[in-house]
Amino acid sequence: MYNFTYHRAGSVDAAAAKLAESGDAKLLAGGMTLLPTMKQRLAQPSDLIDLNEIAGLNGITVAGGTVTIGAMTRHADVAASAEVKQAIPALAKLAGLIGDPAVRNRGTIGGSIANNDPAADYPAAVVGLGATVVTNKREIAGDDFFTGMFETALDDGEIVTAVRFPVPQKAAYFKFPNPASRYAVVGVMVAKTAGGIRVAVTGAGPCVFRQPDMERALSGNFSADALSGISQKADGLNEDIHASAEYRASLVVVGAKRAVAEIA
Amino acid sequence: MDMNGEYRIPAPRQRVWEALNDPETLGRCIPGCESIQKTSDTALSAVVQAKVGPVSARFTGDVTLEDIDPPNGYTIRGEGKGGVAGFAKGTARVALADDGDGTLLTYAVEAQVGGKLAQVGARLVAGTVRKMADEFFGTFTQIVGGAPQVQSQSQPAPAAEVAPAVPAPPAAKKSWASPLTIGILVIAAILVIYFLVT
Repeated sequence: MYNFTYHRAGSVDAAAAKLAESGDAKLLAGGMTLLPTMKQRLAQPSDLIDLNEIAGLNGITVAGGTVTIGAMTRHADVAASAEVKQAIPALAKLAGLIGDPAVRNRGTIGGSIANNDPAADYPAAVVGLGATVVTNKREIAGDDFFTGMFETALDDGEIVTAVRFPVPQKAAYFKFPNPASRYAVVGVMVAKTAGGIRVAVTGAGPCVFRQPDMERALSGNFSADALSGISQKADGLNEDIHASAEYRASLVVVGAKRAVAEIA
Repeated sequence: MDMNGEYRIPAPRQRVWEALNDPETLGRCIPGCESIQKTSDTALSAVVQAKVGPVSARFTGDVTLEDIDPPNGYTIRGEGKGGVAGFAKGTARVALADDGDGTLLTYAVEAQVGGKLAQVGARLVAGTVRKMADEFFGTFTQIVGGAPQVQSQSQPAPAAEVAPAVPAPPAAKKSWASPLTIGILVIAAILVIYFLVT
């Protein structure tokens, strides 16, 4: 590592102020991507602003048909939460499938979605469940939050404070993990919500996306059979040594069918 | 990894050719390019601040042009070495053809990433290249042709085995394509990934 200035923020406002006054500062949430990146000298921020001691960013509340998860809540806490398991079991399951125990005990939901790794799990939940991202400035609809590979609708200096998930009627998450990294080769969240059927896919493309063909088919007939005639185009999907675009496309269909079968 | 594709640019071929050979135009189109200059008639050197997700790195990329055949096309070659981390090198064959009142640019890229570099960074190579190419063409089309007029189609090519025990990542394909700069872009992306393991 090289030298940088460490700040422990006491409040979101203080963190935002520090971020605005520092030339090249980075926010530190769980640090599960940022710290390895710094260690490899792929990023050399002048300042690190630690969000871990800020009161009120951590915790889960369930009220009025909404699960609100503080931005600094660890994956392990979401996975183990009795309230989440009861309200949105698919969300607890998803959190429990992220990375390894070390990552789940340090990584945070706010950090994960702000980073928007193409193979991260939480984006599938935010889009698939129609969640709302709450920041220190505004609220952003889940559908509008993820704008591209590693890119989000967050402005410079904007800090995620919580994510609000409306409780769906039913939801299920399918994940085909990379056996080594546990990143999603493909992850599919299928949800039956008050606003209709939602199918969100992560891992397959450069950024999480909805699958409108599947959503239409499932709206008429919510069963795995309804997806039999649907194919996912391989065009534009990710390819690497682990899976071709065609294989990922096939996994999207298989994953959606299994998720539907779990709750139909 | 191999990438092939084509891109229609709404400008005459001669104009596209000139733009592809104009360091200033290229510098404005390459995402994060801080400086670019011709080091000889057939070589370019660029300083690029590359930002991909958490990664933010500045590097110098050198490419040379071969098989120059104005205004029909050329081959771009670039290389980067990372010692024990691995290596990255690539070529891009760029060809221009008249297409009505516009120009059809086709390219064939062959890039090789080997060693630890390929193992660690493969997941992100294709997406990074695509993203940089998207940004490049958006700007290039605006500068050269005015309004965006993107009509592209690319064909996937089978992945090639390159480094010992490390197959190269095949590139993604979609409605992005490339001209000369695909070479620089590929090298740029590869160097970014190279930084990932250095």
